[in-house]
Amino acid sequence: MGALLQVGHDSKNLLPVPELSGFTGVVLNPVNYAPDGMMEITTGLRGRENFTVYFDPQLYNPQSERGRLREWGYFPDDVDTADQSNDQWWAELCGALVQNCEEVGANIICSPVVAPNAFTDDYYLRMVEVHEILAGMARRTGTTAQTAFVSLSDLSTPSRALAIATIISKTSSPVVYLILSGDQDPRRELDRVDELKGSMRLIRALEGAGLRVLVAFSSSDVLLWKMAGASDCATGKFFNLRRYTRGRFEEPSQGGGQLPYWIEEALIAFLRESDLRRLLQVGGVLSQASLENPFGQQIIRLLTDSPGSAWLGLSWRQYLYWFIDVERRVSSGELDVAGLLRTVERTWRQLDDADVLMEELRNDGTWIRAWRRALVEYQTF
Amino acid sequence: MPIPLKIVAQQICVNLALTFDGKVGAGTFKETFKAISADASPRALKVFRPGFSPERTAREIDAMKTCDHPNIGKLESVSRCDYQGTAFLFAIEEFIPGGTLSDRLRSRGSLTPDETYNAGCELISAVAHIAERRLVHRDIKPDNILLRADGQTPVLVDFGLVRNLEMESLTQTWAQRGPGTPLFSPPEQLNNEKAYIDWRSDQFSLGVTLSIAGLGLHPYGNVATPIEVIEAVAQRKAPTAIFPAAAGRAGLPVLRKMVAPWPIERFRTPGELISAWRDQRG
Repeated sequence: MGALLQVGHDSKNLLPVPELSGFTGVVLNPVNYAPDGMMEITTGLRGRENFTVYFDPQLYNPQSERGRLREWGYFPDDVDTADQSNDQWWAELCGALVQNCEEVGANIICSPVVAPNAFTDDYYLRMVEVHEILAGMARRTGTTAQTAFVSLSDLSTPSRALAIATIISKTSSPVVYLILSGDQDPRRELDRVDELKGSMRLIRALEGAGLRVLVAFSSSDVLLWKMAGASDCATGKFFNLRRYTRGRFEEPSQGGGQLPYWIEEALIAFLRESDLRRLLQVGGVLSQASLENPFGQQIIRLLTDSPGSAWLGLSWRQYLYWFIDVERRVSSGELDVAGLLRTVERTWRQLDDADVLMEELRNDGTWIRAWRRALVEYQTF
Repeated sequence: MPIPLKIVAQQICVNLALTFDGKVGAGTFKETFKAISADASPRALKVFRPGFSPERTAREIDAMKTCDHPNIGKLESVSRCDYQGTAFLFAIEEFIPGGTLSDRLRSRGSLTPDETYNAGCELISAVAHIAERRLVHRDIKPDNILLRADGQTPVLVDFGLVRNLEMESLTQTWAQRGPGTPLFSPPEQLNNEKAYIDWRSDQFSLGVTLSIAGLGLHPYGNVATPIEVIEAVAQRKAPTAIFPAAAGRAGLPVLRKMVAPWPIERFRTPGELISAWRDQRG
């Protein structure tokens, strides 16, 4: 059971932070780092006990957001034109990938997947076949994870989760690296009940079959994935704002991603500075978890003592600290998620009744009802 | 008028210095005869209908060649016999004298829980052996389980519908149903959902076979109304209420998971099934 850090852009300085030492591993994202930069990160991780280093080759990234990928030996020049039904093409790619991962010191290589035009059974079956090609190449050197790149809208069809799980579970890997791909707007919580139910059922089915599921690009939805039984969840400093969606790649790089946000467990929401100030003024709203969060304490002190100071870096840390902490509390049974969501919904209603409104139009807690329904209904979906 | 396979079998026996000893079974693609060799040991002689799905025949033979397990019928040789200008493929296999499990159930009724447990141990081991070779038998049923001379040791035979997962499927995607005996087939076979088929499909058929043999019932309904049972399976309905209770009473609760509607809900690996089957008896 664990929380992992998805090492996004300029994230390596977060790894040595003592308060964030609860991460049980990292997912290396080569879109953000060339091999040399990645090696610096993994060198700094050496000696950490019970710490897993995953490498996600990120071939599913669209052309618009390839970042540093082209600097990696495994990344093929013909990725957009090759016949991807050709085993030889994948074998060459996987061979180079294994070599690159050996060089950077990854423990687990996530199998390469591309984003399809349509999420068909054949597509999911091909994902497993490609993993087997990788596993054959990596047998001497280490472990591989079965990447499952799954469409959220596909999961909204009842029983589709079990069909997809049936195919994915053909893998020889004991670990599934799950990427839920959707079209939710950036900075918005997942709120389609059927998609959430399907995702939870998929996780539950895979875990029930003895596979260890690592949900990539998690956000506050970690609560749902953990309730569905996910062993591990990964997040990154920006995934408090921008989880994996096609849409996020179209967002201007200097857009809202640079604003600091506060994760508030009492509302399961990300708040802007003005929202936080409003809630502090109302009083009695912030959760115990927030008040005990060391970075949250620093932020409140800063806002009180030095109004106008930047707190973007602290906001990343506040979120990541919460993520580690909440993952631990749900795993241990210390946190009753169903009860929390009930309370959170009530709190949003009370704030609304008192005309305490958040700055962003759609930051109104309406997704909590969808989450509650998903939690109650997913097992019979 | 097609040449009767019995005449061809008799000719093969003459050619190979075997004594023809009658017909013992027939399937869609072939007929099986008993032949006695010079040292008085019996053999099963299978003669295939000419021109009838040669790819399936080839796959059946290839599959049997790759298997070597005490609970799987042994293939000794394969050859051809020209008879009146027509080439007939035939196979010589070990002869298993105890009749089929179906015969046994008809003559003496259901197996006891202990007999079912023991048969399960051996047949699960056979299925695991097949799965290791990336093969799916796809037609496990009491008719395709023979018993050795002791009347108890089961032997899985007839690989006529075998699927090699390393090779292209021979079933057309437009077909409404995949091949197999419907009453024993899992939903993915009944619905021709090729992407879901793997060794877990055999696990389902074996679970149904053991349920019928040991509990006297099909997990999904009354075998007296097979069409309703098959529809219930195809639509992935829940097993009947009496099935889990009966499996529990017999001390065979693992059967419940073996016949789950979706493969993901069954045992994922043969090793897991072997352990669970053993563990249910402490």
